[in-house]
Amino acid sequence: MAATHLLKRLSLRIALTYAVLFAGSIAAVLYVLYWMNVLRPLEMLHREVETEASTAVGTYLLEGPAATRILLERRSHVRAHRKAFHLLVDAHGRVLTSNLPSWPKRSAGGWARIEADIYREGEEDDYMALVYDQRLPDGARLIVGRDVESIDQFSTNLRQGALAIVGSTLVLGLLGGLVVSGTIGRRIDEMSRTARRVIAGDLTERVPVSGTGDDFDELATTLNLMLSRIEELFESVRRVSDSIAHELRTPLARLQADLDDLRQSGPGEAGHNALIDEAIAEASRLQSIFSALLRIARIESGRHGVTLRPIDLTAIVSDAIDLFLPEIEGKNLALTVDLPPRLLIEGDSDLLFQAVSNLLDNAAKFTPAGGTLCIAGERGDAGTVLAISDSGPGIPAEARDRVFERFFRLPATSKLEGAGLGLALVRAVASLHGGEIELADAGPGLTVRLTFRSSRS
Amino acid sequence: MHILLIEDDARMAQHIDKGLREAGHVVEHVADGREALFRAAGDAFDLIVLDRMLPNVDGMTILKTLRASGDSTPVVILSALGEVDERVKGLRAGGDDYLAKPFAMSELLARIDVLARRGPGISAEATRLSIGDLEIDLLGRQVRRGGQRIELTTREFRILEHLARNAGRVVTRSMLLEAVWEYHFDPQTNIIDQHVSRLRQKVDRDFGASLIHTVRGVGYILRGADG
Repeated sequence: MAATHLLKRLSLRIALTYAVLFAGSIAAVLYVLYWMNVLRPLEMLHREVETEASTAVGTYLLEGPAATRILLERRSHVRAHRKAFHLLVDAHGRVLTSNLPSWPKRSAGGWARIEADIYREGEEDDYMALVYDQRLPDGARLIVGRDVESIDQFSTNLRQGALAIVGSTLVLGLLGGLVVSGTIGRRIDEMSRTARRVIAGDLTERVPVSGTGDDFDELATTLNLMLSRIEELFESVRRVSDSIAHELRTPLARLQADLDDLRQSGPGEAGHNALIDEAIAEASRLQSIFSALLRIARIESGRHGVTLRPIDLTAIVSDAIDLFLPEIEGKNLALTVDLPPRLLIEGDSDLLFQAVSNLLDNAAKFTPAGGTLCIAGERGDAGTVLAISDSGPGIPAEARDRVFERFFRLPATSKLEGAGLGLALVRAVASLHGGEIELADAGPGLTVRLTFRSSRS
Repeated sequence: MHILLIEDDARMAQHIDKGLREAGHVVEHVADGREALFRAAGDAFDLIVLDRMLPNVDGMTILKTLRASGDSTPVVILSALGEVDERVKGLRAGGDDYLAKPFAMSELLARIDVLARRGPGISAEATRLSIGDLEIDLLGRQVRRGGQRIELTTREFRILEHLARNAGRVVTRSMLLEAVWEYHFDPQTNIIDQHVSRLRQKVDRDFGASLIHTVRGVGYILRGADG
């Protein structure tokens, strides 16, 4: 993996940011420590030495070198937390008093640090003196200072320690970032590889699930469910377009044959007008298949643009029964209708009328003469239920899901009129209304049960 | 009748134009929406046949503009969008009828015929209709033929009423369905024919001359023996 690619990684960027932030806060803590133990004591010491130096200068100017010597020597014998150092040399270079082991030849003329290790009985005491070195008006040289060995020592230790701590935090953070980035990156890579293969057209591809049940597994499972759903939908679209192509080929072929025959026969010839009528009928059959398909597609995709409003299902079913009454009576079917005076649901009356008509049309078409037809509606706990039962041949259990597919027709009914779109439309209308359609055995015959969930009202 | 045909598809326009002329109408055809608006506002037409989808200015816009300017010329909307909601939109915008493409020429002619006579024809307040020896009492919901009372179901009465209100003109199956059942849907069966044939048995069978006639491939017409 290229370094630039690695740096683009979100996970690595996050890890790095955290490492830097962490190292930064450690550095801040260390600085506070440094300030408390080094900077602040040094500053106080500077002030102390300044005061002591000006006292010594004052004494020298007012009371002379001898008094100053006494002052300085007394000061050096006072037991203090930090050892006091001094040097007083007169204008001729004679040392009047000193407890410094050595000092620079030339005066620094201000603040300086002087190594002041003292050997006593073979042992060395380490001292570092922070001194104020000045020339007095008569040419004498005065150095006043205090030991800062422990502060300097602490300062050195702290600086070295800080370097190690901050450095190792950064290195560890970077390493951690690399590891996390590698792990997360691998999972993300797997997902995008899968996505790319799906884009390339392989809808059977799935994101690998590691089985640890972590967030990535959860995401992968969700993505896989989505892919399955898409595959399913895609499959059904493919099936539909396959069957459309297949189902439309027959009427188109017949239409073409009719037109071909028409060209052969001249006007006035026997059957000429019949051929024209046949061709027109074929074209309008094609047209009605198309409109039914479009309608189903529009209802299913929710593009129908209907607004559901309270309507009376009883009135709609009664109107539909009324429409099919000639057919029902013509076949001498025993009709039982059991509907309450009003069945209010939220719906679209045109679509519901179409759906109920399709169901009644099927029932009337498939039930043999002299059979029974039973229509019942009720409002139950589950919602409003409309059940239409007939004593026809029924639908075998294994075909009950498939009859809702477009163009699916039971072998036994293929001789009868129809395109196999009626139930597909009923189901689309039902689901648009948030309802469900169920097929059951009426023993003998078929019961179609439409359930509309109750609205809140 | 003087008809303005607004249709952008040249072949479709030619087909409709020919059909309307053969039925004895005078047709002016425009293909562009903006020009259509101009023509419709300028000349007095008896009826406008309006395609829903047009270049430049949409059919719905033309219709709304016309109605907003107080023009009440009957408008038949033609559209490839045959869906119920589209139809409702069209009628709400001020259309008088809505026909989904493709349609049979005879269907369009029948609808134009009915629309053209809507105004000065039989007023909605009429309480009695009589065609030949058939008498319909709209208030009492009674039907007599040659003085003899005929019992009809509610639905049969409404079919007969609709045919009688449009006596002498062809009423198509879908027009009947819309007027009598008041649902817009596609029956895909010959169920309307069965209703009419039952009505016919009651109105025509026991009387010498038939009043309800089938127009093959189109619909029905109620016509007195003399008409």
